[in-house]
Amino acid sequence: MEKIGQAFEEETGTKVIFSFAGTGTLARQVEAGAPADIFVAADAEWMDYLVENGAVRPGTATMIASNALVLIGPKDTQSIELTSDALLAALDGARLAIADPDTVPAGRYGKAALEHLKLWSDVETRLAPMENVRVTLASVARGDTPIGLVYATDAAIEPKVAVVTEIPTGSHSRIEYPATITEVSSHPDAEAFLTYLTDPKAQNVLRSLGFVADKDK
Amino acid sequence: MIEVDITGHVGRMDLQAQFSSEGGVTSLFGQSGAGKTSLTNMIAGLIQPETGQISVNGETLFDADKNINLPVQARRIGHVFQDARLFPHLSVKSNLTYARWAGRRQQGRALNEVVELLGLEDLLERKPGTLSGGEKQRVAIGRALLSDPRLLIMDEPLANLDQARRNDILPYLDRLCADAGIPILYVSHSIEEVARLSQTLVILSDGKTPAFGPVADMLARTDLGRATGRHEAGALLEGTVKWEDPEWGLTHVDIGGEVMQIPDLPAEPGEAIRLRIRARDVSLALTPPEGLSIRNTLSGTIRSISRETGPYAEILCAVGDQLIRARITRASVVDLQLSIGKQVTVLIKSVAIDRRQRASINSLAQWQYPRR
Amino acid sequence: MNGRPLVPVDRAYVNFLELQPAEWQALFLTLKVASVALLVALPLAILVAYLLARFKFPGHGILNALVHLPLVMPPVVTGYVLLLAFGRNGPIGSFLRETFGISFAFNWTGAALAAGVMAFPLLVRPIRLSFEAVDPKLEEAAKSLGAHRLVAFLTVTLPLTLPGILGGAILGFAKAMGEFGATITFVSNIPGDTRTLALALYTATQSPSGDLAAFRLTIIATIVAFAALIASEILARHLRKRLGGDHD
Repeated sequence: MEKIGQAFEEETGTKVIFSFAGTGTLARQVEAGAPADIFVAADAEWMDYLVENGAVRPGTATMIASNALVLIGPKDTQSIELTSDALLAALDGARLAIADPDTVPAGRYGKAALEHLKLWSDVETRLAPMENVRVTLASVARGDTPIGLVYATDAAIEPKVAVVTEIPTGSHSRIEYPATITEVSSHPDAEAFLTYLTDPKAQNVLRSLGFVADKDK
Repeated sequence: MIEVDITGHVGRMDLQAQFSSEGGVTSLFGQSGAGKTSLTNMIAGLIQPETGQISVNGETLFDADKNINLPVQARRIGHVFQDARLFPHLSVKSNLTYARWAGRRQQGRALNEVVELLGLEDLLERKPGTLSGGEKQRVAIGRALLSDPRLLIMDEPLANLDQARRNDILPYLDRLCADAGIPILYVSHSIEEVARLSQTLVILSDGKTPAFGPVADMLARTDLGRATGRHEAGALLEGTVKWEDPEWGLTHVDIGGEVMQIPDLPAEPGEAIRLRIRARDVSLALTPPEGLSIRNTLSGTIRSISRETGPYAEILCAVGDQLIRARITRASVVDLQLSIGKQVTVLIKSVAIDRRQRASINSLAQWQYPRR
Repeated sequence: MNGRPLVPVDRAYVNFLELQPAEWQALFLTLKVASVALLVALPLAILVAYLLARFKFPGHGILNALVHLPLVMPPVVTGYVLLLAFGRNGPIGSFLRETFGISFAFNWTGAALAAGVMAFPLLVRPIRLSFEAVDPKLEEAAKSLGAHRLVAFLTVTLPLTLPGILGGAILGFAKAMGEFGATITFVSNIPGDTRTLALALYTATQSPSGDLAAFRLTIIATIVAFAALIASEILARHLRKRLGGDHD
């Protein structure tokens, strides 16, 4: 995101300041009137909530990217079949790190995927739900948990982990990243930045990081 | 039997103490800051001396060379502190019996005995917070007594009390000192208490023990001025009450040969009395004076004349078989041509009386020292 | 209009205050975690407080600083340190796992450990002050009466410090109940195992529809805290009377 922001600044001269946090936390802040111009969420549910409460301008919602889920393990782990036995064997009594399925978008998608793959009932009691997907990533990188469920984009940036299985995108609803302009925004360039996010230049950056660009459906 | 010969440091003070005593009440006397509490803390085991030995009744409590240093719990020394130190969360009774139920000490004396000795019957169920200063001290004494001690240390027990409380508690102390049955180490900077209660006196000054011995001898000595407190110097006489003259309110006391008449002293014939006569209340005359209001004019012989600088000289006179100290000016010594061996008349203006509770002659006799 | 009875409105109100099973679970888990944390931490805190209050030794300052570390470090950092040390592959964690089969990671025991560590400085401070308020000369007097050090401690010092220990325990318990940052970092947010009240509250606020649950959880947490504080007040007053202060 910061690369995109830099590029935007070079082109237009407007500086872009980012605030990164979990979707839920940010959504609450926007709801409370935080002085942000643009909000990018990791799922549609929080965005709908903000639209309902009038915290963001309804017509401005734009999907800017998509993503895929993967199972990861520490570097040099063998790949695992997507069966209960294989999964439980790989866990070996330890837990599967996942962003909290109750609250974090990545966890929600993960739960949906596991349910679809008929793995949920077997692993439900072996989960370690974490605050957000980055914490999940770090947990696997450290070796506290032998397997984790994260986005493909997260796995790509962490050299200490390796993808052990890809989760078929058909097993969960489409991962979407909506972006909107907040209700309190008064900056003249807000709309321009929103449009810029779907611009090919921005989309290339996203693609290079492993995001599934919006256009590739 | 107490034997102490130690050196040590406490803070900035260097302590070097050596004394022994046969039993009864041994007083540790000195001015504030002389090191009395430090010394008793060493004897009790709360502070460790650097060199020397401490033994009580033949048992070695501390010996630097032999590496013996009994811990406090094992010394069986009852310690009455200046500030009582009663346990505030326990009743008086639990305080008294603490050594039995927490200290695992044997039953030495019976609880009733001690309660009666110190008049604690009405206090047993109360908490220390509700007691007066004097009551607290009595409980503290009782508590120490009930710990089956081989030695009782009383560290300035009356120092924190006002005069009225002190007078309340002194009769109990009299009884205790007579009835204790164990040696007592009594620490004080008050000459009255020391004179009243003890048989042996140890002088402590600047962390050193310049002298110790029978209390009468110590108080009469002329060279201990600074240690004993110049103005307190005097003589301690033992006397027996002969009879009380009701018409004039005068009591006649036999001090071994001579008889003194003392006003305002209700007493029984045969009662043992200690008389303290301050040196500054004693004058000397070459011949028995006539027409003088002073009733106590005794004949005596000069035993010693101190060599002092300054205006005063101290004269020691033998009266009967006891010693009386007189302080007069050096000028008068020369004018009267006083010398050792000279017969003089000793004039005593006022006498401080330290009563003794009626104690058995036997127990007193145990601790008496031969009089000169 | 017609089909709308009045009763459902009332019931809805009552229902809204009724705790969900997940919330009961969080409550009981929190009580369990905080109690165990207190039970283990309190004796240790009494010992450390006594050492710091009564003895001078090289390392006194370091021990004191170590004790207060969880108080001044961000809780997440404390949780991270716990993770490094007691996690599956951590030096202490792997040792405990291999030798005793005890595991803290992702376990309610880990939550108790986090709560205990965070509460520790709040236990030590008031207890230490209590010890310092007890005249060591009373201990000397006890020794002169034949009591060994431990007996003197149990019969004289400890009873007199009981109000302070109680105050510290309440404070520590409250902190253990409310602990969040270290817990979620160390043992994550497993319902039934590590989702304590604080974590459950956080989870509720992270969900758009969780406002009601958050409200209910807040009420419970407040009620429990109040009850603990009032109980401690009553006990402290009772103790003070029994110990009979010095009224000279």
